[in-house]
Amino acid sequence: MKYFLRKLGMLAFTLFVSISINFFIPRLMPGDPARALLDKMEGLPPEQIESVRAAFGLDTGDSLLVQYGKYLGNTLRGDLGVSFSRFPMPVTQVLRIAIPWTIGLLALCMVISFALGTAIGIAAAWKRETRLASFSVGLFSFIRSFPYFWLGLIFIYFFAFRLRLFPIGGAYAVTETRGSAAWWLSVLRHGTLPALTICVSSIGGWMLMMRNNMINVLAEDYITVALAKGLPLRRVKALYAAKNAILPSVTGFAMSLGFVVGGGLLTEMVFSYPGVGYMLYQAVNAKDYPLMQAIFLFIAAAVLVANFIADIAVMILDPRVRDGAA
Amino acid sequence: MIKDFFLTLVRNRKSLAGLCILAFFVFVAAFAPLLAPHPAKADRVVTTKLVKAETGDPETVAEGEASDVREVETYRVTTVREYEKTTDYFPLKAKPGKGHPLGTNHAGQDLFSQLVWGTRVSVSVGLATGLFVTLLSLTLALVAGYAGGILDDIISFFTNVFLVIPGLPLIIVIAAYVAMKGVLPIVLILGLTGWPYPTRLLRAQVLTLKSRDFVRVSRSLGERPSFVIFREILPNMISIVMAEFFASSMAAIMGEASLEFIGLGNVTVVSWGTILYWAQANGALLSGAWWWFLPPGLCIALLGTAFVLVNFGIDEISNPRLRKR
Amino acid sequence: MGSVPTLELRDLRAGYSTKKGFVRAVDGVSFRLERGEFLGIAGESGCGKSTLAYAVMRLLRDNARIESGQVLFNGTDVAAMPEAGVNALRWTGMAMVFQSAMSALNPVLSVGEQLTDAVLAHRNATKAEAEAMAVEMLGLVDINADRLRGYPHQLSGGMKQRVMIAMALILKPDLLIMDEPTTALDVVVQRSIIEKIDELRRALGFSVVFITHDLSLLVEISDSLAIMYAGKICEYGRSRALFDEPLHPYTEGLMGSFPTLTGPVVRMGGIEGRAPDLLSPPPGCRFAPRCARAFEGCGREDPALRDIGGGRLCACRLREPGREGGRR
Repeated sequence: MKYFLRKLGMLAFTLFVSISINFFIPRLMPGDPARALLDKMEGLPPEQIESVRAAFGLDTGDSLLVQYGKYLGNTLRGDLGVSFSRFPMPVTQVLRIAIPWTIGLLALCMVISFALGTAIGIAAAWKRETRLASFSVGLFSFIRSFPYFWLGLIFIYFFAFRLRLFPIGGAYAVTETRGSAAWWLSVLRHGTLPALTICVSSIGGWMLMMRNNMINVLAEDYITVALAKGLPLRRVKALYAAKNAILPSVTGFAMSLGFVVGGGLLTEMVFSYPGVGYMLYQAVNAKDYPLMQAIFLFIAAAVLVANFIADIAVMILDPRVRDGAA
Repeated sequence: MIKDFFLTLVRNRKSLAGLCILAFFVFVAAFAPLLAPHPAKADRVVTTKLVKAETGDPETVAEGEASDVREVETYRVTTVREYEKTTDYFPLKAKPGKGHPLGTNHAGQDLFSQLVWGTRVSVSVGLATGLFVTLLSLTLALVAGYAGGILDDIISFFTNVFLVIPGLPLIIVIAAYVAMKGVLPIVLILGLTGWPYPTRLLRAQVLTLKSRDFVRVSRSLGERPSFVIFREILPNMISIVMAEFFASSMAAIMGEASLEFIGLGNVTVVSWGTILYWAQANGALLSGAWWWFLPPGLCIALLGTAFVLVNFGIDEISNPRLRKR
Repeated sequence: MGSVPTLELRDLRAGYSTKKGFVRAVDGVSFRLERGEFLGIAGESGCGKSTLAYAVMRLLRDNARIESGQVLFNGTDVAAMPEAGVNALRWTGMAMVFQSAMSALNPVLSVGEQLTDAVLAHRNATKAEAEAMAVEMLGLVDINADRLRGYPHQLSGGMKQRVMIAMALILKPDLLIMDEPTTALDVVVQRSIIEKIDELRRALGFSVVFITHDLSLLVEISDSLAIMYAGKICEYGRSRALFDEPLHPYTEGLMGSFPTLTGPVVRMGGIEGRAPDLLSPPPGCRFAPRCARAFEGCGREDPALRDIGGGRLCACRLREPGREGGRR
């Protein structure tokens, strides 16, 4: 319970830090980008300029602290400002369009690649002397070094452009009625390549991490004991080796999460997949700062919550953590 | 100590392979002016034909980019009777062929030359950022681990906080605010967001070493902290520090390429990431110009693999369980 | 004794391959272990005694293997058995208690799960039956049945080792191998563990092979003793006789390296020098370089383990007939 509360506190604090970073980034940047932006906006409707002033605390006469307080209050209420590029839509509303796509794509890929990578890692460690195991370690380390976006480009080139098996970008066929069976089928077809990109790039990381953990665990005495007991090898592998080896993997999952999410965002950009990542790309190009920052905040919050879930998983899997011993 | 470390690295097959690939790229980066057939942004070649006064034979004496011509004119003007200058523009978006092994881009620049010059930028940004991150995190780790107490609590706490805040979105938002003049802002941004993970690992190592007998003895004998840190702790951290350096460099090369690909870098600099940016911006993909976007990514992957291989070797050296027997 | 011994080793050779070559950690070891007998095997670390234990259980992994020789368990050769046969024999016929109780228990499985899984794997028992057996075994080692639901990290070192013993005996094996089972424990706990083993042996009738570097532990409970040095048995005999009158200089040295609790205060002798490199053992007697009583012949010829009467075996040229030190 103490562990749970500690992790909950950590979640709250990291969220708070992310929100604060969000507030300070535009204010700490050299050359006052906000004012430069304002200068560029001359000729725009006054209410739009007003929203920019509010967002960046320009000419309000408030001290930084007061601005900060107002910002915190607004953020907690869910008011993240108004989008520049889709004026006068509030950014939360803009964001809402993109979120389901990202969660559908990324969450699914993450679960698949973690499960698959872990399973392959277990097998590669268990049969580490075989040629197939060494080969797969080499292969996955190579694939892991591909930049996500580049792998996406390659997939588009081969599977979409050359072989014409999948669409080049987007998330669904505009010609179908939303919600119809054909539409869902098109969602599946559009999602295949981005999903493949994310899974192929991230699977290697999980696989190598699990393999290393497994190899460390396999040298433990309790594995020898399990073998000495004449237990079925399947049981030794699953409950003695893998169950112990997955603990650092779950902790590592938390740390690698940010990396995979980053890769997922890039993948969306390459495929023009209308999720949060592609929206971030558009926001960057349109210099839509409020939207950009809201996206950062959303991603940070999602990752932090996922982290928290991983911590809870460790608690369920490891009796030592449950007792607060470790 | 460092020499010993490299000797063990060279003896390990994996790390040796990694070091060889790494050395190749460093070589290309260092000798880019000699290896690249053209300057990074050359879009034409100017040929000056001189006719010798004595024989009247035409002879091509200078071949180079536009800027080289003037010198040739003044140098030879007394000995030649006449000369003619032909300006030969590279074709736009050419396929690989004679003169352009990887074709040309939308502005008629030789892609092979760009790849070679880009190596220089990408490798140096990667290694510089790696060094920056390593020094930063090593300092934090030593301060936290060695001093302990409240200082350690504070540093560890913030390390853990920043560890879980996703890096790339943060980098993108920061980069969107910064005007990219050269590559230095990229180094700074990647450096200032890349420290938490190495700091955490290095701090753990400092703590382990601090509890070892030889360090305890020194401390109880009243050795100066600087002696304990630089003579006793640091020499025993070489392999992990190097591993972090390689890992950070790889992350930096990926991060740089990602930023530039999105267009958040300075797109006028020629690097692997900006080649990909221009390729994407000019629809290289959908015109089937694989020679445009394939090579830079392969280079990144190859260099990344090199770092991974070196770190495999380091892992095997420092963790006997991973060693293949 | 016409009956089949519980365990008989015949010229067992085992070791592990390294980059530099094959290290023969067990080099031609033979002995017999009768039903219900308690055999102590003592020697310095690195003498091959653990490799011996692992070879008997066929647990040598990775780069380690049995080279030649026989491991006869109840008359059948374990060394030549297919893996499935060995697996069926493990824990039902022979069980093992390991050196470090701390790391021998799986931290993420409950004590009960770890006690019962061997039962479920080898016997056609229900979960409830297996748990009943586990409770009974825990009772034998004086551990409360409610620990069944607990996890290893909640137990003290001594308790963990007793759980290990309960686990090893749950299927009533004929042979219990103990590889330095008390090394990680403090002296008082060591004593209680050893007494517990002796008590259980008398109650259940299994044979024990007890491996240790600390000869003093074996004084009172072992029936016979084998002293190992550099992969070979250098002396073997009934415990009492061997303690009263060690024949091999190495045994003498080994006995000199522990303080007796009851005896007069003596200087702790120990043995000068280090055990030889098994990658390239010295010619002749392997102990000769460290032996205070070595003479020129020792470095040339490897003395065989010879029967010197009274059920005692010794591999030392001092004990050969015609030598001054011959058995008095």
